[in-house]
Amino acid sequence: MTSTSFHLPIMELNDGNLQTLTEYLQKTLSPDPAVRRPAEKFLESVEGNQNYPILLLTLLEKSQDEVIRVCAAVTFKNYIKRNWRIVEDEPNKISDPDRTAIKANIVNLMLTSPEQIQKQLSDAISILGREDFPQKWPDLLTEMVNRFQSGDFHIINGVLRTAHSLFKRYRHEFKSNELWSEIKLVLDTFAQPLTELFKATIDLCQTHATDVNALKVLFSSLTLISKLFYSLNFQDLPEFFEDNMETWMTHFHNLLTLDNKLLQTEDEEEAGLLELLKSQICDNAALYAQKYDEEFQPYLPRFVTAIWNLLVTTGQEVKYDLLVSNAIQFLASVCERPHYKHLFEDQNVLTSICEKVIVPNMEFRSADEEAFEDNAEEYIIRDLEGSDIDTRRRAACDLVRGLCKFFEGPVTGIFSGYVSSMLTEYAKNPGVNWKHKDAAIYLVTSLASKAQTQKHGITQANELVNLCEFFVNHILVDLKSPSVNEFPVLKADAIKYVMTFRSQLPKEQLLEAVPLLVAHLQAESIVQHTYAAHALERLFTMRGANNATLITPAEMAPFTEQLLNNLFKALAIPGSSENEYMMKAIMRSFSLLQEAIVPYIPTLIGQLTHKLLLVSKNPSKPHFNHYLFESLCLSIRITCKANRDTVGSFEEALFPVFTEILQNDVQEFVPYVFQVMSLLLEIHTSSIPSSYMALFPHLLQPVLWERTGNIPPLVRLLQAYLEKGATTIASTAADKIPGLLGVFQKLIASKANDHQGFYLLNSIVEHMPPDSITQYRKQIFILLFQRLQSSKTTKFVKSFMVFINLYCVKYGAIALQEIFDDIQPKMFGMVVEKIIIPEVQKVSGQVEKKICAVGITKILTECPAMMDTEYTKLWTPLLQALIGLFELPEDDSIPDDEHFIDIEDTPGYQTAFSQLAFAGKKEHDPIGDAVNNPKILLAQSLHKLSTACPGRVPSMLSTSLPAEALQFLQGYLQAATVQLV
Amino acid sequence: MPTENLSDKRMSKFKNKGKEPTKMRDRRIAECVELRKAHKVEGIMKRRNISSVGDEEPLSPEYNTDNKQVFVISEAIQEIVANVNNECPEKQRQGCQAARKLLSRERNPPLKEIVEAGLLTRFVEFLGRNDDPTLQFEAAWSLTNVASGTSWHTQQVVEHGAVPAFIALLASPMLNISEQAVWALGNIAGDGPSYRDALIDCGVIPALLARLTPDAPVGYLRNLTWTLSNLCRNKNPFPRFSAVQQMLPSIIQLLHHSDKSILSDACWAISYLTDGPNERIDVVIKTGVLPRLVELLGFEELAVVTPALRSIGNIVSGSDLQTQAAIDAGVLSALPLLMRHPKSSVQKEAAWAVSNIAAGPCQQIQQLITCGLLAPLVDLLRNGDFKTQREAVWAVTNYTSGGTVDQVVHLVKCGALEAILNLLQAKDAKTVLVILDAINNIFLAAEKLGEVDKLCLLVEEVGGLDRIEFLQNHENNAVYRAAQALIEKYFSEDGDDQCLTTEATDSNFVFGASDVQKRFDF
Repeated sequence: MTSTSFHLPIMELNDGNLQTLTEYLQKTLSPDPAVRRPAEKFLESVEGNQNYPILLLTLLEKSQDEVIRVCAAVTFKNYIKRNWRIVEDEPNKISDPDRTAIKANIVNLMLTSPEQIQKQLSDAISILGREDFPQKWPDLLTEMVNRFQSGDFHIINGVLRTAHSLFKRYRHEFKSNELWSEIKLVLDTFAQPLTELFKATIDLCQTHATDVNALKVLFSSLTLISKLFYSLNFQDLPEFFEDNMETWMTHFHNLLTLDNKLLQTEDEEEAGLLELLKSQICDNAALYAQKYDEEFQPYLPRFVTAIWNLLVTTGQEVKYDLLVSNAIQFLASVCERPHYKHLFEDQNVLTSICEKVIVPNMEFRSADEEAFEDNAEEYIIRDLEGSDIDTRRRAACDLVRGLCKFFEGPVTGIFSGYVSSMLTEYAKNPGVNWKHKDAAIYLVTSLASKAQTQKHGITQANELVNLCEFFVNHILVDLKSPSVNEFPVLKADAIKYVMTFRSQLPKEQLLEAVPLLVAHLQAESIVQHTYAAHALERLFTMRGANNATLITPAEMAPFTEQLLNNLFKALAIPGSSENEYMMKAIMRSFSLLQEAIVPYIPTLIGQLTHKLLLVSKNPSKPHFNHYLFESLCLSIRITCKANRDTVGSFEEALFPVFTEILQNDVQEFVPYVFQVMSLLLEIHTSSIPSSYMALFPHLLQPVLWERTGNIPPLVRLLQAYLEKGATTIASTAADKIPGLLGVFQKLIASKANDHQGFYLLNSIVEHMPPDSITQYRKQIFILLFQRLQSSKTTKFVKSFMVFINLYCVKYGAIALQEIFDDIQPKMFGMVVEKIIIPEVQKVSGQVEKKICAVGITKILTECPAMMDTEYTKLWTPLLQALIGLFELPEDDSIPDDEHFIDIEDTPGYQTAFSQLAFAGKKEHDPIGDAVNNPKILLAQSLHKLSTACPGRVPSMLSTSLPAEALQFLQGYLQAATVQLV
Repeated sequence: MPTENLSDKRMSKFKNKGKEPTKMRDRRIAECVELRKAHKVEGIMKRRNISSVGDEEPLSPEYNTDNKQVFVISEAIQEIVANVNNECPEKQRQGCQAARKLLSRERNPPLKEIVEAGLLTRFVEFLGRNDDPTLQFEAAWSLTNVASGTSWHTQQVVEHGAVPAFIALLASPMLNISEQAVWALGNIAGDGPSYRDALIDCGVIPALLARLTPDAPVGYLRNLTWTLSNLCRNKNPFPRFSAVQQMLPSIIQLLHHSDKSILSDACWAISYLTDGPNERIDVVIKTGVLPRLVELLGFEELAVVTPALRSIGNIVSGSDLQTQAAIDAGVLSALPLLMRHPKSSVQKEAAWAVSNIAAGPCQQIQQLITCGLLAPLVDLLRNGDFKTQREAVWAVTNYTSGGTVDQVVHLVKCGALEAILNLLQAKDAKTVLVILDAINNIFLAAEKLGEVDKLCLLVEEVGGLDRIEFLQNHENNAVYRAAQALIEKYFSEDGDDQCLTTEATDSNFVFGASDVQKRFDF
């Protein structure tokens, strides 16, 4: 214990203080904050006093008022949670005498308290234990173990629960000497008594076999004991448990096979004691099977049989779900291990597992039916997105896959029999037996699926299952059914089948399905029309030959109107007004159909805008909203591609909503709005409309730039402003230029956003009239040099080189050299020597490399200082670096310490980032056609230079340019048909 | 025990490329708590002599009932005490023999009772009775069996001065007496480093080696080899170099014997000597033993293969040069068979060796590929028992962290990715974390190839994405953070952070450098 705990004020342990404390505790329960808050404040203010926890313990033990006792217990637990840990360099918040007293009394107090208080104290003990056990609380274990003798199961369960909370961390912590020493200590004191207790408890279960209340207590003990077994055996197989495996496993096995009518519960939802116990035993068996296979081998077959029998006899109720899925997972993990294969090999065994374990657990239950009807969203997430880890169906599927590892043929054979018999049952009376068909489809799906992704559906299928035949014979019927709303579950199954096996079915069958799916968009059932939308969306993304879409707009032509109609109508069905699958399908349809949608856009844009207005009041479905904006972008692009002049009508439709979004600062939507505006502005051909200029000052507000999500779209929007309106800004908003540069300054200060700052700066240099920025140029370079000095990351250096070369292209090499040397003498030479020559190889991107090539060519051939001062020594190395940029592979090495800076967001000349895929813009080349081949430019420029000062260039080349580089250079000269003189 | 603390050992190796080697060694030598039973196939620390000599009737089976037994034993011991303390040599022999018989019972020999009866003083005295070889023999046998008990028992024997007496007896012309002394000394040496060194200080090594002659019977040599192996055993501290140098030539010689039990113990000796820092390994490698060790890997007897493989495993956990020496001796052609050995303990040790080779430079990784070790490695990932899988997972992580992009791609093509993704369900946080590390390495390789998307699909296809997502709920912080990092980096979008600051008003940022920089220098 630290020595910093000396000066705590002391509260006397007397009736007065107990009374005061009682009053304040009472007040903390008041619903009126005016009473409650001051009381809470008071308690906090005195909790640093010595004896405070002892007073609380006294109250929770002795108070006459039940409410106060519980309240004191909760307060005590929270106090321990906040204060018990001793943090280095901070004062000890609980006095040593209090600590000692608490530890001396708490176990006893916990065990003798009523359940409500016991739980709180048990939590408190586990917090104490985490800090103090075992070193600072050596007698805790023995004290606990001694209670096993008490014979009072209220007390014993208290001990077991506490032990569980102390030991459960063994299940997830890393092996360490400290941890294992603790476990060893626990095993030495605890394992034997626990085993004795286990045996005794089982004996008592026999003795009290007819006494429900006794059995309940005993079974909760057994469950806790089984949990402790799991924790103590988790890290490694302890010697003790290896020696006593017979005892434990025999009893576990018996308990698994045990059924006691008295313990069966009426409740259909909540798992009962029997289920909890058996489920834990399945976990224990699975642990041993996985980790201690060698030692457990003799017992395993027995457990396989017991667990399988258990499965066969367990009902369909929800309360058994955890047990059943644990039990199936156990079988699934065992059956794929080579040396247990023989346990499953026998045809009868396989048949029986298929028939009695797998098939029943794939059946559509009434709980599933309820979810299908009343909770479609959850049903879809579980069924479509696979968040069904613990469900029976998932477990049964895993078992099918496990069995297929060794027995694909026989299992497929057995199931084929089942599938046809279930289909026959269904055919006899579809109205009554429709669930049989559902199970048949599910079975076929799980049997056929070997590998699957969201993007492509099933990518590997079981060759023994004929998917096309099944489609033709059993799936099409349901898709074609004239009554769309009949048997919605089967319809959803059929749609899902198409979606799942889309990569396996031939194109003709998919084309046959498309109009049918379009019809199902109108179904009343949410699951059904959602699946139809999802299936269409997936089909539209499929690629055929030449990477074109598999389904072409021409093939869709007959259904286009129906498709668009139904998609938008479905958004009006209650429960689907913000259906993300539907919106995604709209987006995908636009993208597929392209100009075919133009005639419909005038109507559709109104509907989309209306939707946007509605959801902007309370954005709650991010995916829906995202696809909504994507759809807007597509409408704009596709329509304006056909006719640019329509851009005005989009602005007219959208700006009122956008204004509202920006004014109300709907944070989720602001980045989208900027992107759509960029898209619109870029379409304009002449000058910038005044409606945009009015917004310009607002875009520079720091508050917008504080949100990282705004940065890429805002930079892009400002770039669009500069491209279309640089002269307007210079003439009518020159006072905003410092603010614009302020944004640049803000961005380059950040390692993550510096490339965005360069995008902006490049646009400024490219588009702003030179006069308008003359006065800021020096400041700009000083800022860049400061950043280079303080943190010279690869990403920054790459962007920096592109910028200075662009500047050189725009303002000339002399201007570049002079501004550098004006900031600091010899600065230009330093940048060439320390930055450009060694790093230019790292520049990536076609446009970026071109800019650098042209810029460096200018430096070499249009900058007298390079020829006539001490910079001359850099001339050949710079030329060599340029030839390297042309000829050598890109250097993509990054220093080790930079691996974690924004790896994905590598800089490009253009805004690579775009949240909206369909708002993206084309790559922009600021040099364009002025230079088509930089190598030729280099040759011509060198030629020009050499004629200006005959003899110098060849002599510089011959003295220090390596032969290989010289050879490349000669190639350029030849291609340009020029010679150096 | 060499297998202890593997993960730490490997972790240090794995992470220590470029770090101080001394630190790494500290971790290797660090003591480790064990929860498991000491393993059955390990070399035996102490042994009791329970062989029955022809002329004796076996002990009657009715000793079984407990109470009766206690009663009978205490009576028997009283009688022994009386006889041993008697001046009559005949009685002494009788008493000593009776004690030896009690101590040689299969079950529950009364070691403690014999000690507490104060018999040890007399027994040690009898060791010096060159005039009465039978008495010497019986006493030596009794003391051997007492010394085979717990540390406390061994301590009693040593503290009664038995060590010098036994060393003297090594030279006895009576082979059975000398052999019994060898045995007793083996038990004492096996107790731990301090008695081992005490024996070495008393000159036990030359005395033992003097008896290592070509004409010594096999039984005698077996005992001798075992005792030598115990003199090589234990760390903290290791036996000193001079002692090791003294013993090594003889151990190497024994390693060429034809008797399997001698081979086994000689191999164990080598495994003890190589279970340490690189200087220790060097001493062994310099004897040129490697080719023989590799040859022994091909033996059928588990008792030989296990320690030979352990020795090889220790050696390849050494420096890159030492590992290369083992590779040059042909270890890579022996390992595939061992990785497919029917015993899972052998598979595990083989996988451990592979994992250490995989932690080497990419040239050595290339040799793993060339020698066809990847296919069996992937088999072990799929079908090995848990301990083997854990070692195989380490191999994959080490391989992917040190291998070239092409090598990593090759491993993935062999099916390792799918196999490790399956093991994300393992009930061991460390293993899961190590797998996540490997996945991350594989993604780094994919990044260099620009094939991240393809890898993402592959991971998802085989159900790996589900498992990684599931691990985001893992109770262990390191595991959930690693899983989350993978998901965030490769399966979703990302955020960023700031360094310098810019002044701002409500309406815009203030442009301009805040301070005049003294001097730029890049």
